[in-house]
Amino acid sequence: MAITTDPVAINHWIACGWPGKVPVGGYWDTVLLGQNIRVSRPQPDIYEAAILTAGALGRRLPVQSRFCCIFTTLGQDPRPLPQIDEFDEPDRRLINCGSVGVNTSPYRMIENFLDMAHFPFVHTNILGAEKKTEVVSHKIEHRKDVDEIWATDCRFFQPAASKAATGGQMTDYTYRVMSPFSIMLYKNVHNDPGRNDAICMFVQPKGEAQCLAYMPMALVDDVNTTAAIIDFQQTIFLQDRVILENQRPALMPLAPAAEIPTKADVGSVTFRRWLKQMGISFGIYEKAAA
Amino acid sequence: MQINDQVEADRWVGVALDSQIQSASSHPVILNGRELALWRGESGPARVWDDRCPHRGMRLSFGFVRGNTLRCLYHGWTYGENGHCEAIPAHPDLAPPKTICASTHGTAAKYGIIWVNLSATRAAHVPDLPNQPGWLPVRSVHLRASAPQVLDGIAEFDYGEPARTSMPAQNACVVVLGSDTQLFFALQPIGLDKTGLHVVVNESGEPQIPRRQRLARQVARLRDTIEAGGGGVWPSPRTL
Ligand code: FES
Ligand SMILES: [Fe+2]
Repeated sequence: MAITTDPVAINHWIACGWPGKVPVGGYWDTVLLGQNIRVSRPQPDIYEAAILTAGALGRRLPVQSRFCCIFTTLGQDPRPLPQIDEFDEPDRRLINCGSVGVNTSPYRMIENFLDMAHFPFVHTNILGAEKKTEVVSHKIEHRKDVDEIWATDCRFFQPAASKAATGGQMTDYTYRVMSPFSIMLYKNVHNDPGRNDAICMFVQPKGEAQCLAYMPMALVDDVNTTAAIIDFQQTIFLQDRVILENQRPALMPLAPAAEIPTKADVGSVTFRRWLKQMGISFGIYEKAAA
Repeated sequence: MQINDQVEADRWVGVALDSQIQSASSHPVILNGRELALWRGESGPARVWDDRCPHRGMRLSFGFVRGNTLRCLYHGWTYGENGHCEAIPAHPDLAPPKTICASTHGTAAKYGIIWVNLSATRAAHVPDLPNQPGWLPVRSVHLRASAPQVLDGIAEFDYGEPARTSMPAQNACVVVLGSDTQLFFALQPIGLDKTGLHVVVNESGEPQIPRRQRLARQVARLRDTIEAGGGGVWPSPRTL
């Protein structure tokens, strides 16, 4: 795999590992946008990254350790990591679910994360039910000051919204697309209407249609074990993976007529328009147009 | 933009045995590298569409059947037999616009085989076989060989008795064994080195199930022989 020549894709901080993957004193070799890299951990809290060419270490890459993940960038002028305050609140439980490999483009994954209409069919009787499939209209905006896409006032009926839920409920969601490779959601906590669980997905694009997903969470849940929460999250994600690996084409089509959206897809439509405006070509179906 | 914009030749290709496609089921089929969904409602004929939901591209071969509609696994969009979208669950009160339609293909069931024509014109006919009724399924196999290699293999095979081979159409082959048995082979080019073979038989006497089971085993032998690249020996007529 050759490194991408797309300058837009390169100038991001991208998740490239999590602490459980890199042993202290050891390293983990992985791929970022087609470029082989090595992430090493000389001391418990110190991570380093470098380009790997034919087994030899090359240029050092900058590293940030944040949101239970390790981030690096191949670019000279990367967009800064987002601000997610929930990860700094002292009473939150921070949980990293590790990483899951998915063979599709990063944007199909972001779109799936942003989508409520699939809950009744893909997460049947957990995040949705076949009796209540309606997606009520919600607000989507491109917040120019932070250059993020926000979806607010999202509501959906859920039979078992989280590991902590004890029955069906209308769940309120807020979504935040923070970059082409990162998204998060806030969903209301079952026993505390004033607070939200924060669940992120950082996508590491290894190639145009090979990704790793990291899903760190900052939760308000003092009941469930970490293992049970991770188990719940993995179950959901594996259900999504069956879909994600069977969309055609795997690369994201941006031409308006390629796929047919409806009102429930305003988030996806806004996201695609945003991708088009930024001129990204990595992982995009229409190579000539990019 | 169209995702599948190649121009397809106007010809019918066998892609499955009709008896294999149960009611209320959907299956993936590949024809010359093109991904298709072959499905059947709770009643009626099988249909072949592009394996791609117009909404967000999910493969329709993963879909599920309710009544005589095919529903996409991702968001449950519901397609009628003519391909038109009849329901969008995210908007239960909305009548989907007529323009939303799965990409459908000409499909026919003849001689116990499901035939597909991917062209838009569809002027061609399904290959004509002598005895219209009386064709019974033997089996389908997939081979690691190109379609021309499979055709050669069928023609060169030692059937252990006089065999006359003819080709009523491209990718179709009839082998007459002795005086009363005709085997029909429909070839499905999957990729450069992969071919599906769908076999039916027509006997002048009473159809015999044990005999067809033996024929089915012989088709597997034919496959092994072709994949091994040699001309094998068909068992003697007595064991058929
Ligand atoms: S992709 Fe088929 S219904 Fe959405
Ligand atoms: Fe999902």
